[in-house]
Amino acid sequence: MHQSKSKPESRLAAITFFAKTHPGDVCGSNGLPLTPNSIAILGRAQKLKELKHPHLCQYLDFVRGKHERTIVVSEYFGTTLQDKSRSVLIEPLVVRIFYQIVCALKALTEHNLVVHNLEPKHVLLDDCDNVKLFNYGLYHMTRCGDYVPFPIGNVRYMSPERFLGSKNNIKSDIWSLGMIVAELLLQTKFWPNLKISNIARKILSFCQTNNVFERIAREHNCLERYEQINGELRILIENCLSVTPAKRPLPTDLFTHEVFSKDIEAYAYTEPPKPTILLYRCPLEQIYYWWQLAGGDVQGELKKEGLIRSEAPILAIPQLVCLNGKIVGPKRSQSYLMDDRVVPLKLNNLYEKLCNQPAMAYFPLIHSPKFPHNFGAGMEQLPLVIRERDIEYQFYRVRLFSRLLKGYPYTSEMIRKEAAKDIPPYLRGPIWSCLLDVIPIGSYGKIDKFTPTSTDRQIEVDIPRCHQYDELLSSPEGHCKLKRLLKAWVTAHPQYVYWQGLDSLTAPFLYLNFNNEELAFLSLYKFIPKYLQWFFLKDNSAIIKEYLSKFSQLTAFHEPLLAKHLASINFIPELFAIPWFLTMFSHVFPLHKIMHLWDKLMLGDSSYPLYIGIAILKQLKNTLLASGFNECILLFSDLPDIVMESCVFESQKMYECTPKSVSHRFHVLRETPLTEFDLTPDVTLSHLQAEMCPRISANDFTSLLHYAPTDMCALDLRSAVEFSHVRVPHSINVPFVAAQLAEPRLDALGVSQLVEMLQGRIVICMSNKHEHEFSKFLVECGVQRVCVLHKGFNILHTIEPNILISN
Amino acid sequence: MATTARSGGNASGSSAQRPNGTQQNKNCQFKLVLLGESAVGKSSLVLRFVKGQFHEYQESTIGAAFLTQTLCIEDTVVKFEIWDTAGQERYHSLAPMYYRGAQAAIVVYDIQNQDSFQRAKTWVKELHKQASPNIVIALAGNKADLSNIRVVEYEEAKQYAEENGLLFMETSAKTGMNVNDIFLAIAKKLPKNDGANNQGAPAGRRLNDNENNRQTNNCCK
Ligand SMILES: Nc1nc2c(ncn2[C@@H]2O[C@H](COP(=O)(O)OP(=O)(O)OP(=O)(O)O)[C@@H](O)[C@H]2O)c(=O)[nH]1
Ligand SMILES: [Mg+2]
Repeated sequence: MHQSKSKPESRLAAITFFAKTHPGDVCGSNGLPLTPNSIAILGRAQKLKELKHPHLCQYLDFVRGKHERTIVVSEYFGTTLQDKSRSVLIEPLVVRIFYQIVCALKALTEHNLVVHNLEPKHVLLDDCDNVKLFNYGLYHMTRCGDYVPFPIGNVRYMSPERFLGSKNNIKSDIWSLGMIVAELLLQTKFWPNLKISNIARKILSFCQTNNVFERIAREHNCLERYEQINGELRILIENCLSVTPAKRPLPTDLFTHEVFSKDIEAYAYTEPPKPTILLYRCPLEQIYYWWQLAGGDVQGELKKEGLIRSEAPILAIPQLVCLNGKIVGPKRSQSYLMDDRVVPLKLNNLYEKLCNQPAMAYFPLIHSPKFPHNFGAGMEQLPLVIRERDIEYQFYRVRLFSRLLKGYPYTSEMIRKEAAKDIPPYLRGPIWSCLLDVIPIGSYGKIDKFTPTSTDRQIEVDIPRCHQYDELLSSPEGHCKLKRLLKAWVTAHPQYVYWQGLDSLTAPFLYLNFNNEELAFLSLYKFIPKYLQWFFLKDNSAIIKEYLSKFSQLTAFHEPLLAKHLASINFIPELFAIPWFLTMFSHVFPLHKIMHLWDKLMLGDSSYPLYIGIAILKQLKNTLLASGFNECILLFSDLPDIVMESCVFESQKMYECTPKSVSHRFHVLRETPLTEFDLTPDVTLSHLQAEMCPRISANDFTSLLHYAPTDMCALDLRSAVEFSHVRVPHSINVPFVAAQLAEPRLDALGVSQLVEMLQGRIVICMSNKHEHEFSKFLVECGVQRVCVLHKGFNILHTIEPNILISN
Repeated sequence: MATTARSGGNASGSSAQRPNGTQQNKNCQFKLVLLGESAVGKSSLVLRFVKGQFHEYQESTIGAAFLTQTLCIEDTVVKFEIWDTAGQERYHSLAPMYYRGAQAAIVVYDIQNQDSFQRAKTWVKELHKQASPNIVIALAGNKADLSNIRVVEYEEAKQYAEENGLLFMETSAKTGMNVNDIFLAIAKKLPKNDGANNQGAPAGRRLNDNENNRQTNNCCK
């Protein structure tokens, strides 16, 4: 397949406006500052991104600039009806436009949206004369215009009742539609020379008129043309222009109307030819994403067009500030006024970056080994931040994952494999849900999220404190969504309760799936049993205690000296690690860090978070080792900057080299039952709390012995006599002598080259007694990866086939 | 009387812990715990006291947070080791770990929330029963900046405080009103001349009596 080298025309455009600023120091009833209107707009606008319809321009992005500026990026192309109607349009084309606007309005009503700014400037036509509405979401995103200082809608096309304050009626849009079509049919622009106020007066004067269409035609000396219009069509327009909204037809009425249905072929959407440029065959939202990576900057484009002008701040300094916060000073400058210009975003740069990509990169074939799909191969070695900003790499990844996601759940394995390399931020939400084995089945809609419950107060005070630096989560829309998610989760789990922290845990899923609450919910729904089984029980103390004890043991396993120090100053995890684990770190890190952390977490099992905890300790090791209790606890009350990449790297390393049974906890969701060679339930919490080193199961022991004998070193603490009778191959006999353990010094054991033999290996202490004492001694000597064989040496006798050597 | 709040954070550090007669001033350190319903402003009060800041979107507290701050009263340097606890009722079981061994407590309620005042009363009861008998308790009616929409009357709370031998102030973490003052009032009321409080053991030690303590004390040398 060859791509034509024709230059790409633009498909995207931006418009900008200012949201209303809150006056001075006004606070809400809680005494705290009000949410800026631009944030409220941002939250409301998100849902518009989901509207994908042939007659609607797709919304792509909403950006906040300085001083409450809001920028809207959306699809934009072709010609506006305003331009097109400068020459006369034949009647069939007018009917076609009429019909297609009806289709657009019908789609919007299905989403409970009204337009209220319908005018020819916002009707775009492509080369096949297909209509797409543009800027139809302004009224919705500004909550009926409440959030902006200017009125919405062009007076010329505004219905009489809108002047009287009526809102939110799709029938008002039908009037506008009627006016647009009437202008086209009469081939004239109405009241070209009237001032706005006079137009308004004119429209209101229609209230005494029976036939608005006819009257307008008469006033514009077009009665003849009016009479020539196909009778049915004329009546339809007259109905649309009924003064009483109730008499106007609904979009659904129009949609099936005879005027259109008799020649629907001519009026309905014409599928445009497939674009020759492959880039244009990709979803527009992906194109926009790459455009940004290719250096696209919306604010910069607006600046170039003079739509964002910066002025010397000194010019805005107030002359007088009253004690009540009132400001007297220069008026807002001209640059703050509404300017409805549309600024196209040029795609040349992006096109040049991607035009030489083979078709196979655009449409990877994932099931044919003949066509490799690893286009980014080699780049995996680059640091993650670089990969995430690299246009080519993200292009490959997004295309590949788009394909893989379409095949889910059949592609689960491949998704997992690719996700292990990295997860493209653009598709993180859906990819996470696949890693969590989510399959949406529409159950979310059925869960009660509204009945008041006793947890409501707690949820309500927690939400305004949850990741509020983020624009989406701090918007009123974000608050509503988070509340619904939390209530739904509580309702769906009668066995669990809301613990403070569940809000933080939910936030990342909402953040990634802001427009797909169900996916956010189901991801959370799956995430909790996988990593936090039973943590949300009303009495979770047994679970937390087990977890924290295991955390201490694993710290001793990987970081013996640190563990020794922390134990000596009594710096117990109860004092600092509860928020870490209860929220999987989502309460202690900002969202962007959680993303990278959870990217890896999702690929691990329920023990993974423990290693993240250790990796954090490890990163602060030097400070911790040099500090006493107070300094340590202060350090964690205000967690310093943790470098995520190395934290993730370290946790991954520890995760991979730790035998599963070493991280064993009783309170997990278990798929396969435990056998007598695993860690059996007789290891209780008090064992965990009393033993510094974790236990290893006989199963893990034997598989180490079989498959990785060089990764382990078995220390046999039994007497030399017992050892000579029967032993594990390559094990070292260190007969237990209590006196040797008085000082934490390895050479006291009298085994030559012991340090070297233990170095870098999993050290397994075996005995039928004393192994815990001994293992603690090793930890205090700084030996890494010390564990104890569960059930002692004797368990090895029962293993089949036999692994012991006897004399 | 010269009273200044010294910037605390982690700076004031370890030197204050071991005043083995080397300093002229008397050094005392006290463990103080904040208790009260969720969202009444405990963390905000501590943040105001320790850093002089107010965050409108103060994050909720899970488990507990620890901060220190030092005050000077005449010739005595008083170091507060502050445990700011989680307010949600469910975290109640953790609370004893923090108030056990505390010499002072601030029980906080929100003046525009009646339930939080009731909750404060139960905390006071619990402290009287379970905490150390000499504990100095202060009651703080927070969010005093919102007194135009208050539901808990000043007089009512004042009377309750008097009946129960509590210090009482209405505070505002937002404006800073009475925040330093309430800590100061506590500091003044705490005994500073017996040796008990300035023996130099880090506060964390006093948490020893929880049952998770897995080993005997290896006192750092
Ligand atoms: N108007 C006003 N708001 C306050 C004041 N103090 C705190 N707040 C607000 O009240 C909310 C809760 O404050 P926090 O300090 O988080 O409350 P907390 O008692 O620590 O809550 P938990 O950690 O859940 O126990 C936050 O949004 C604060 O901004 C105050 O004095 N005045
Ligand atoms: Mg708090």
